[in-house]
Amino acid sequence: MLTFIGRSLIQKMVTLFFVSIVSFLIIHLAPGKPSQVNPLNPKFTPEILERFQKEFHLDKPLYVQYALFYKGLLTGKIVSWKDNRPVLRKIWNRFLNSLPLFIVGTLLTWTLSFPLGIRSAIYRGGIFDRTITFFSYLLISIPGFFFAYILIIFVVTRFHVPVIGMQTFGLVTTSWTPMAMDRVWHLLLPSVLGATGGIAILSRYVRTQMMEVEGQDYVRTAVAKGLPPDQVHYKHALRNALLPFATMFGLILPGLIGGSVIIESIFSWPGMGRMAYEAILARDYPIILTVNFISAVLVLAGTLLSDLLYLLVDPRIRL
Amino acid sequence: MTIRRILILAPTILAAFLIQSYFWVPSYEEQTRGNPARLTEYITASIGDASILNPALSADSASSQIESLVFQGLIDRNKDLRFRGRIARSWHISEEAFFYVNEKAAIPDAGTLDARNLLRFLERSRKSPPAVDKLRECLRHIQDISLLPSKDYSVTREEKPKEKEGKSRKILFDIHAPARIRLTLDRVDQDLFRTLQTLLGPDYFRSFDPTPFVKTAGNPAEEGLSKYARELLPATEHNPVIIFHLRPGIRFDDGRPVTAKDVKFTYETVMDPKNLSPRISDYEPVKNVEVVDPLTVRITYKRLYSPALSTWGIGILPEHLLNRKAMRAEAIRRGENPDTFSVRQSNFNRHPVGSGPFRFEEWKSDQFISLKRFNDYWEGPPNYKSYFFRIIPDILTQEMEFYAGTVDSYDVQPHQVARLKSDPKYQSFSGTAFGYTYIGYNMRRKPFDDVRVRRALGMAIDVNKIIKYVLYGQGERITGPFVKQTEYYNKKVKPLPYDPEGALKLLAEAGWRRGKDGWLEKDGKKLQFTLITNSGNDLRKAILAIAQDSWKQIGVNVTTDILEWSVFIENRVDKHDFDALILGWQMGIEPDLYQIWHSSQTHPYQLNFVGFKNKEADDLIIKIRQEYNYKKRVEYCHKLHAIIAREQPYTFLYVSKWTAILDKRIVIKEVDKNGHVHYRKIEPTKTGDYTYYFDKWIKLPRVPNFAQEG
Amino acid sequence: MTDRTRTPLRWNQHLDAPSSPGKSRLQESWDLFVSNRLAIAGFVIFLVFLCVAVLGVFLTSGTRPVCDPSLVRLEEKLRPPLSRPNLKVLRPEEVPALKVYLFGTDELGRDIFSRMLQGAWVSLTVGFVAVGISVLIGIFMGGMAGYFGQKHVRSGHVLAVLLIGTGFALLSIGRWLASLPFLIAGGIMFLFSGGYSRTGSRNSGGTSLHPVLHFPVMTVDTLIMRTVDIMLCFPSFFLILTVVAILPASMYNIMIVIGLTSWMGAARFVRAEFLSLREQDFVTAARALGVGKFRIIFRHMMPNALGPVLVSATIGIASAILTEAGLSFLGFGVPPPHATWGNILSDGKNFIFDAPWLTFIPGIAILIVVLSFNLFGEGLRDILNPKLRERP
Repeated sequence: MLTFIGRSLIQKMVTLFFVSIVSFLIIHLAPGKPSQVNPLNPKFTPEILERFQKEFHLDKPLYVQYALFYKGLLTGKIVSWKDNRPVLRKIWNRFLNSLPLFIVGTLLTWTLSFPLGIRSAIYRGGIFDRTITFFSYLLISIPGFFFAYILIIFVVTRFHVPVIGMQTFGLVTTSWTPMAMDRVWHLLLPSVLGATGGIAILSRYVRTQMMEVEGQDYVRTAVAKGLPPDQVHYKHALRNALLPFATMFGLILPGLIGGSVIIESIFSWPGMGRMAYEAILARDYPIILTVNFISAVLVLAGTLLSDLLYLLVDPRIRL
Repeated sequence: MTIRRILILAPTILAAFLIQSYFWVPSYEEQTRGNPARLTEYITASIGDASILNPALSADSASSQIESLVFQGLIDRNKDLRFRGRIARSWHISEEAFFYVNEKAAIPDAGTLDARNLLRFLERSRKSPPAVDKLRECLRHIQDISLLPSKDYSVTREEKPKEKEGKSRKILFDIHAPARIRLTLDRVDQDLFRTLQTLLGPDYFRSFDPTPFVKTAGNPAEEGLSKYARELLPATEHNPVIIFHLRPGIRFDDGRPVTAKDVKFTYETVMDPKNLSPRISDYEPVKNVEVVDPLTVRITYKRLYSPALSTWGIGILPEHLLNRKAMRAEAIRRGENPDTFSVRQSNFNRHPVGSGPFRFEEWKSDQFISLKRFNDYWEGPPNYKSYFFRIIPDILTQEMEFYAGTVDSYDVQPHQVARLKSDPKYQSFSGTAFGYTYIGYNMRRKPFDDVRVRRALGMAIDVNKIIKYVLYGQGERITGPFVKQTEYYNKKVKPLPYDPEGALKLLAEAGWRRGKDGWLEKDGKKLQFTLITNSGNDLRKAILAIAQDSWKQIGVNVTTDILEWSVFIENRVDKHDFDALILGWQMGIEPDLYQIWHSSQTHPYQLNFVGFKNKEADDLIIKIRQEYNYKKRVEYCHKLHAIIAREQPYTFLYVSKWTAILDKRIVIKEVDKNGHVHYRKIEPTKTGDYTYYFDKWIKLPRVPNFAQEG
Repeated sequence: MTDRTRTPLRWNQHLDAPSSPGKSRLQESWDLFVSNRLAIAGFVIFLVFLCVAVLGVFLTSGTRPVCDPSLVRLEEKLRPPLSRPNLKVLRPEEVPALKVYLFGTDELGRDIFSRMLQGAWVSLTVGFVAVGISVLIGIFMGGMAGYFGQKHVRSGHVLAVLLIGTGFALLSIGRWLASLPFLIAGGIMFLFSGGYSRTGSRNSGGTSLHPVLHFPVMTVDTLIMRTVDIMLCFPSFFLILTVVAILPASMYNIMIVIGLTSWMGAARFVRAEFLSLREQDFVTAARALGVGKFRIIFRHMMPNALGPVLVSATIGIASAILTEAGLSFLGFGVPPPHATWGNILSDGKNFIFDAPWLTFIPGIAILIVVLSFNLFGEGLRDILNPKLRERP
């Protein structure tokens, strides 16, 4: 086990290094220049643009820029080109904003998908299964913003409560509980919308896995033996069906640094997704590279975690 | 079974917890009607966040909106778009003109004169001016003539390398400058030297050869030397001078007074290359800023530059918070390198201090910026106690917040205007924006080099229909490159009519006739090209489709493409690799069109990317730049407008109208001498600016009846 | 014996009865498929869409098509479905084919029905080709990693790949004469590096030219999984943005790029399944019988692993079409005025309240395609994997 972990860590480090080079190249290959260097603004003379280029080190050869970037990143001094704020601090603040959304969304997804998927699999072909199938695919086929607007309009016109933002804007109380509950309310709608896509997809996978396991011979044996149905489904079938999801669990990690741009825009949620998207459009290289780097670290950590979990959970695996 | 119970309970508990939070949240009613403090707050919504709250460094519109409330400039514009003083109480524009004594030129009636005699000659002519009217007028404005003796000095210049890889080298010049005459005028006269030529002879200035006075050890080529000489010793030179008298008693938010030192410091901050200010080009013609006394500033310019006065609307920065000492202290406090720490990195940009009607309170990134009123504002504190700038990136949710009453104003979209105008709860204001949308043709490529083709293409598009249906009426036709509300815009120029038949006739004149398959062709080649624009702009996308369809109707085969903004600019616009494009310009009121229309700006990465080259237009552009007299400027602008409209390098489409919707309960509150309070409706100024009296706005619990209105 | 279970597990006499040797597998599969009504329905609907798409291409192309998708009628903007055109304002050639706006008009007055027809072919191809590419690559990579996991990639292989790679690079520049020696050397290197033997044992017994070439660099599993990791590290959005901006914006490039950036999920699933299937008895039995490796992988193990892959394929179709919508929102999709379902969706975003049909109609179309594929897929899975068969 330990050798496995050790070997994996080394491999991940090498991969990380490789990824950092490739992502750096991709960003510089992408056409378009940072918006400060090339605006269509009559006030920006060529001298100013040249100066910006120098300031952003864009006139140096690529490997020098690479070294400078990563030095800045690892010492924490790297600054965004948009407003000269340190990138790591910016990312941390946005991360703290996105975190509750992410946690609640993940909780909702995982706690809702399993009951739905399992019931669909057990009563396969029944009304429940067909309705859930229909709604799952409906949720996947119609884009999220549609449901977001409908939901917002519904809540605002029916209940006359604010839904956008992280907290109610005109909140005047200072006592702890109302403020915390206000935050929870503002979390509700965006995480529900973010979770619906996940629920749709995850419940389909749960259903498939359950169906596969239910078709196995040992389940048939259990039924034939006369075990109560709950024991058959939950004690025997479910445990085996859950194996792949243990590994999927590890892959949640990269979701920490992500975030849906559309949901964040509609709900005015100052999260990571919007920041990364705006940075890409404005070609703000420090932010893009840092977010990429952190997300690569998380992806690699997530896959390591899921590999480990898989080893632990499935006795049949021998590496 | 327990697992089953867990599976069902977990989501139910979670859902219940989340839903019960609904009961803790204050409803919209509570926030607006139930909250009396709400009436003293003005909340506005914006799609984007500000980046740097420093008028010397910022370039985006959200930052400028906040800066206009926190900072104040020396001047700004009044209801009629003329200048009015803010920090400056008054100002005076004059000029100092210089020319070198040309001992070799022969002056009519006087022969060749040396410096001292020339001075006497000029004094005599001033006291008893000759009969020529223009000359008499010109000499009347000269207040002082003085002689600057001959000087010796050295100067270095950097020679830019011929090839890209070469290094630039410095050349040292030893100059023995001849005597110079300085004329001090009480106004700026761009024709001064031309008029003086009637006195001094037509060749006086032209024949001045500076080359013998310049020596160098370095080795520029022969033409190089005279080129440098002419630059170092120009025969004539205009140095306009602006003197501002500041109002006493104006303070910054922290109580310190605003003085001329702060004005000079603002200028130096903009010009410091470390700060990467986008406004450098505005102040580049400034020769020097002098603090005459704490309330007087004297600014001298290197050459004629009439947009100069408008550049002093920039917010004045507090010198005591941003000077070298303060920057070093901050650098040390933050653990940065004090030698390289510049204003651009300072925390001041996130927490500004200015002298405007509002003071900065808090900025939560991408959520809101809050300002509180400045009680010691020199014109009296504004009526609103606080100002909130909320960042709501989605326009539909902005509208919803507006309806609910938690936002007082937002960027209304054209299709929402119709819905809101008819609602009795709201008052609406419309005005034309400062900018226009156009289709630009790359005049370097065929067939766009033929003005008939350009006009015909413009005539084939029904712009009025676009305004009516795509903009929902929120736009106006525009015919030229000036701001429609100003007098610079030539209202006599008529827009191109929608006339497809006429277009076909013009094209036939140019040799394009319909082929067998319905497309226009000439000499076997079809009339086809690609029209591009940038993504993310629904209006331009709609115009793309409409233009393509309109041109299809007259037989022009047009393909379209939409590109992402950076790619669009970098690969197509800057490299001049396009046939036709749809773009827009946003402009200021100053009619300086040099960068967009002058023929010298047609190289890659410059703004005259359509390649418009017209000698008459070039002359007018330079004249406008150098003319300080308002009436003359208007005249030149009208002429330029007519030329551009005739040549049609752009098909000018429309200028969009902005609409602002406000709650009807927001009114202007004024207190007269006896302490009586009067309310009156907000009315837009002649030019459509409805926020002119923003300081006096207040929101009332109920709509008052304006019985007191006179 | 009382039936204490509430779940329906009944004996299917027809299907589980021992079939006579006369019935071939093909016949059995066909019977199975036909008896599954829903699968048939799915297949038929899918065929209908395909025909509509092909028909649509003919009906909407050319200079004066029957159903014109790009004709702008500004006065008729945002008309609801099934509304009659305002004949007073329109010229005769502007009136739509059936004298009614079947699906309404968009914000420029263009007929949505024609646009849906025009976009059907593009959207369907984008959906299926992108998913097809991603599934094929995913299955291949996952299968290789799962089955050959412990085989080592020898240094000789690495050298061989490098040589062949330079050979191809030279070929693409045009210097095919210079590339030949590289290609030949690479091929020989590959052969002599060994590592593959018919018996499938861990240590190869092939001839090796030199012990250096034989050096194990890393396992196949590691190689493939690290590649998956690297691909996962890049946000697909940015990759697609870069590629689409560099290459000319054509439908095929977009499809290939979407396919190339979404195979990782399928690969991980297949690998996971293979890791557990590999130790199962039927695989050992097949190996003992001498069945060839690739036959084992694709003929015996793969059908068991396809369950999650089919789910991700179904979801992938909808997501590919919606990704194309996102790209066209940014300006990278199929260039206008060519319509795609994604185009119509993203253009209608601003008019949700004024014209909800702009979102609904393409959304429902996508839904029907996805549902039909799902039903068809479940029928397919029943054929391939008896364990998942419905037990009525």
